[in-house]
Amino acid sequence: MTSLTTFYLSGIIGKEAFGADGDAIGIVKDLLVNAAPTGINDPNQQLVIGVKLKIKKESKFYSFKSFIVTKAREVLNVTCTELAEVSPDEINNGLLLVENILDKQIVDMNGRKLVRVNDVRLVTLPTGTFAIAVDIGIEGLLRRIGISIPIKKVLSLFKVNMPSKYILWDDVQAIDHSSLNIRLSKSYAKLHTLHPSDLADILEDLGKKSSMSVFSSLDEEKAADVLEELETRAQIHILENLPVNKAADVLEKMPADEVADILDELEDERAEMLLKEMDTESSQEVRELLEYDDDLVGSIMTTDYLSFSATSTVAEVLVELRSKKPESVELYNMFVIESNDELIGSFNLRDLVVAEPNTSVSQIMRSEPFFLYDDQKTGEIAELVSKYNLLAVPVVDQNHLLQGMVVVDDVVEDLIHERRTKKR
Amino acid sequence: MFRLKLKLSGFFKHLAIFFAILGPGIITGSVDNDAGGITTYSVAGAMYGYGLIWTLIPSFVVLLVIQEMNARMGIVTGKGLSDLIRENAGLKITFFIFIGLLLSNIGNTTTEFAGVAGSMEIFGVSKYISVPVVAVMVWFLVVKGTYKIAERIFLIFSVSLLTYVVSALMAKPDWTDIGTSLIHPQFEVNTQSIAMIIALVGTTIAPWMQFYMQSSVIEKGLKMKNYKYTIIDIAVGCVVTVVVAFFIMVACGSTLHPNGIQINEAKDAALALKPLAGRLASQVFAFGLFVASVFSATILPLATAFYVSEAFGFEAGIDKKWDEAKEFYTLYTGILIISAIIILVPNAPLIKISIWSQVLNGILLPVVLVCMILLINNKKIMGNYVNKPHQNIIGWGAVIVLTALSVLLLFMPLINK
Repeated sequence: MTSLTTFYLSGIIGKEAFGADGDAIGIVKDLLVNAAPTGINDPNQQLVIGVKLKIKKESKFYSFKSFIVTKAREVLNVTCTELAEVSPDEINNGLLLVENILDKQIVDMNGRKLVRVNDVRLVTLPTGTFAIAVDIGIEGLLRRIGISIPIKKVLSLFKVNMPSKYILWDDVQAIDHSSLNIRLSKSYAKLHTLHPSDLADILEDLGKKSSMSVFSSLDEEKAADVLEELETRAQIHILENLPVNKAADVLEKMPADEVADILDELEDERAEMLLKEMDTESSQEVRELLEYDDDLVGSIMTTDYLSFSATSTVAEVLVELRSKKPESVELYNMFVIESNDELIGSFNLRDLVVAEPNTSVSQIMRSEPFFLYDDQKTGEIAELVSKYNLLAVPVVDQNHLLQGMVVVDDVVEDLIHERRTKKR
Repeated sequence: MFRLKLKLSGFFKHLAIFFAILGPGIITGSVDNDAGGITTYSVAGAMYGYGLIWTLIPSFVVLLVIQEMNARMGIVTGKGLSDLIRENAGLKITFFIFIGLLLSNIGNTTTEFAGVAGSMEIFGVSKYISVPVVAVMVWFLVVKGTYKIAERIFLIFSVSLLTYVVSALMAKPDWTDIGTSLIHPQFEVNTQSIAMIIALVGTTIAPWMQFYMQSSVIEKGLKMKNYKYTIIDIAVGCVVTVVVAFFIMVACGSTLHPNGIQINEAKDAALALKPLAGRLASQVFAFGLFVASVFSATILPLATAFYVSEAFGFEAGIDKKWDEAKEFYTLYTGILIISAIIILVPNAPLIKISIWSQVLNGILLPVVLVCMILLINNKKIMGNYVNKPHQNIIGWGAVIVLTALSVLLLFMPLINK
């Protein structure tokens, strides 16, 4: 007997556990591991702490400390010295390998995508039994059905190896916590480290219940970033099912043009409810944008932009930027306006940085900036943007008063879309 | 758009919502009348006249109930049927269902290509040209990502299924006869007629449609709030299926049956209609068969590759690159190639393949249905939207009848010999 035994979850489930005296006690139904209550990459999260044992007709959780798994001639033996029940608290904070992991979808943190688990690989060391990896390969599938070994033999005749794929336990984020009343924000801790786009892709692929619980676990800032990246269908699902006050909080953190786009897709009643719940400043901006028809520049412009008076100095502008800490898109192009909001010039970050601190804005600005009218068709943006290599274009109304700006990021999507439809 | 929406009211608002939701049910209903279906209905009409038309009534009820369950599951869970089966029924049942689905759908796709070959032969095009051309076209259509557009074009084309109505009317059917046979069905009860009934029900309610229906509902992003429109969509789809089936049986029943012409393929029906109902009726019939075959030959391999991948956890989707979703594309391409090649092999046992894929369908259907009914009654999955008692009665009733029919079908050859 070695001190190290590796085995698969599929191998131990349904096995009879024997007592020290050799009598059968019960059947192994599930294994309980710590669900990383302390956060990320805690070695303890791999430890198997409990086992669900079916004794006669009743299933209960017992501490795994007194259980030993050994392998003799490829046959697993489960022996147990003592039956001690696990506290409900530990069960609630744990993760069940069969109920929450096996055959379920998990997030592969390394590949940043959803995968389905075919089996779980475990190891017994003198210090305890640990989950080391999940098997997502074809080999795992065949092993479960019980035809892995014969197929391997056939393949080896042709010198072909069966593809096997594993994900280390550290890279596993469980999604399905439905049976447990665990604190969600903690149980999804790993997910929160993902980029919003990746997170959005994962949410789109999840079922309705899971996508809601993952989304609800995000903090407002992250939630806003993720919501922005989601497909329309998923956005609608989230906004219709999130409590109104929480949804409004998230929307407040998003750029007004994005919010307008989303609310446009929602049913009027729900959109109105959300607008009422948002703070007046944010909702006012959104309402103005909603007034524009879909195909007009005004509908895709953002109202988050930076504008200065012509008499400010470069130093003053820099001080203001430092205190405001604007998003990077706002720095693509900054605008110079009269006191009545009339657009008279624009400058970019480079103009600002290379100028002497006491230069006035009027000296560094481009005095006849490119601009768009808010009631121009969106189709005309692309030409202007690509012809003059602009990153952001100011939008004015008929009186030449600044209303917002169109950012290239928002146009790119439309451009790609347009091209695709043309090709078709 | 926002302002426009506010203005819509009353009838037009309902209509607008309906057209936005329209799709899953009607598309599924149209795909249902594929080459296999058309063949079965034609053969039944030729053999029994109007005698078996009554089977369409129970088929309609069961189809409606099953598709409603699929739509409800899709809307509530947002998960595909294969995902739900894998997560709740365990790997062994999943494996059985999906290997069965894979095999039966290779058979079904073969039947679709037989439809392509047969219908084009009516127009004088050799199968050695039509089948490879259609197979390559279908492959590019899907892999090059224009599938969604294709689906819409097909949906418009599927109106051509109504050409069967024209064919039927040209055949000048005896309506009182049809009415009588609906109310008092008269046919000889023997192994052959029972086999025919099984084939009719089996082709109307194919297992893969349940998976297809559920994922189209998810893809459409339908909501519980607009559920009544979804129901209408499903009902329209089922009506389309049954109406088309009805007219095919009428067309063949009023021309071929009285003249004692027996047929084996849908193509034979088109050919046989020529002297009896005119050249135009025959060509109209062949055109409908062609469109239906291409439509299903596009959807079937794609859908099958998708569900199998979903169940076994392979990456799937036509938006993925070949390297990302190797298993998915291999499956998809494999099904297409195998099916097309079978048709091109001289003297391939087409009728046997078609019968065996129907037998497989017959065995799979009750298994899939049992899984569905168990899933939809699971509170943990469906919450407040579990089945109502009357839905369970029809559901389980269908399972029992279908299982009985399938068992009959399996043991029939033994009794015969």
